[in-house]
Amino acid sequence: MANPARLLIVDDNEDILSTFYEFFNSLGYEVKTAVDGFAALKILRDKPDYFHCLITDLVMPNISGVGLISIVKKEYPDTKTIAMTGYGDHPGALASEARADIVIFKPVDLFKIERKVAELIDSKED
Amino acid sequence: MNSPTPLIGVSSSMLKIKELINHVAQTCLNILITGETGVGKEVVAQSLYAESNRSKKNFVKLNCAALPETLLESELYGYEKGAFTGAHKKRYGKFLTADKGVLFLDEIGDMPLSLQSKMLHVLQSGEFSPLGSDQDFKTDVWVIAATNQCLEECIKNKTFREDLFYRLNIIKIDIPPLRERPEDIPALIEYYFKKYLLKHPKSKAEKPDSHTMERLCRYPWPGNVRQLQNCIKKLMVLNSWDKIFEELPNHDADTTGSSSSENTPQAQLGGSGMHSPGYQLDSDSGNRRLRIISEFVDLSTSSEKLFEDISLKKIKKLASDKVEKEVIIFVLEKVGWNRSKAAKILKVSYKTLLYKMSEFDVNPPIS
Repeated sequence: MANPARLLIVDDNEDILSTFYEFFNSLGYEVKTAVDGFAALKILRDKPDYFHCLITDLVMPNISGVGLISIVKKEYPDTKTIAMTGYGDHPGALASEARADIVIFKPVDLFKIERKVAELIDSKED
Repeated sequence: MNSPTPLIGVSSSMLKIKELINHVAQTCLNILITGETGVGKEVVAQSLYAESNRSKKNFVKLNCAALPETLLESELYGYEKGAFTGAHKKRYGKFLTADKGVLFLDEIGDMPLSLQSKMLHVLQSGEFSPLGSDQDFKTDVWVIAATNQCLEECIKNKTFREDLFYRLNIIKIDIPPLRERPEDIPALIEYYFKKYLLKHPKSKAEKPDSHTMERLCRYPWPGNVRQLQNCIKKLMVLNSWDKIFEELPNHDADTTGSSSSENTPQAQLGGSGMHSPGYQLDSDSGNRRLRIISEFVDLSTSSEKLFEDISLKKIKKLASDKVEKEVIIFVLEKVGWNRSKAAKILKVSYKTLLYKMSEFDVNPPIS
């Protein structure tokens, strides 16, 4: 990839966050991370339309993943969204309602997510 | 609503809340505001409204704890003429008056379960029908809910619907109690002092001097901003900060809670050997003894009355309750308020723990 795909990854668990960071970074993605929805929103507002894909946890303090996805879909419609949920169906269902492109359940398979990310970004470029 | 109270504070938590409001007010996503009584949940709701693009429309407030179930339902959705005995004429509900504006639902944790499911339906579909009507109305309200309860706990206790919680909790604003942000106190005092002085132009009340301000900042303010506000209102009439302090509950106690063993020699050392009987003569341990006893009996009464009040059995109960309470809180905090874990550690049944928690009024912190 000449122009690396740019990801914003959001999770309030810093271990998960650094695992994701290492993984995607090693595959050549440009990765930014945020520990909650508000931190993520500030990054997004700072760099509008910069990110190709948002990967977010759903249950977080201040702005939830569902909130973040709703905002992204409205303000940055070109950014693809992937929701990760580990807390039963409710947040997941809300994420679908908020038109997340993909909702996946934890524990997640990093390779699988990477394939989805690649598909989503490709589909956009076509 | 003519002059909404501004959100006052310079603490990092309040600055963050202001910033958050600024970033999300335009999104009109459902918001849940949490915090103890008197921290200013409605002020936050008003600020959200004022910064949103709905500020020209209505801000409608409803306190879910203040009304009985049936009345709450008709307040929310309205009713048709003849819907029930006494419904002489049609009445619009808050969902209609708040259309295109904001519906602020205070004390949402107290909403009865049956109404929660109806609320969930409205939030999902954006439709509702008034009581006694078979017509569905479309509604576009921005719902901001507030509570001083820990809804996660209410969900575990089955008094709050999990699905409704997630639907409201799209954005959460948690306002910390005033005792955790004493740096906000001077600005709040300044604001309310000015405000009430305008209402009482003849008042001789004076702004607190530095010593008074220090005392005010040290006080734990269990009733939060509302309590502070009421104090200043009172000051306009009493004109004396000393009198205000006298009326504050446990105004001498240093911050309640974690400070069981202060090593400050602040008790009147050397002064009161009078009460302590023969055993230990140094006033230090005498004072310590009195301090321990005074936690359970009122030492300020006469000896006769005092001796009537003291019984080992009674004191034992009071003392063991006090220690039990602290131990329960200690263990619960260690296990992240997982009560079944705590019960196992404490070697009591789950039921006993719940009973004791309610007896001692132990509640999980609002996260």
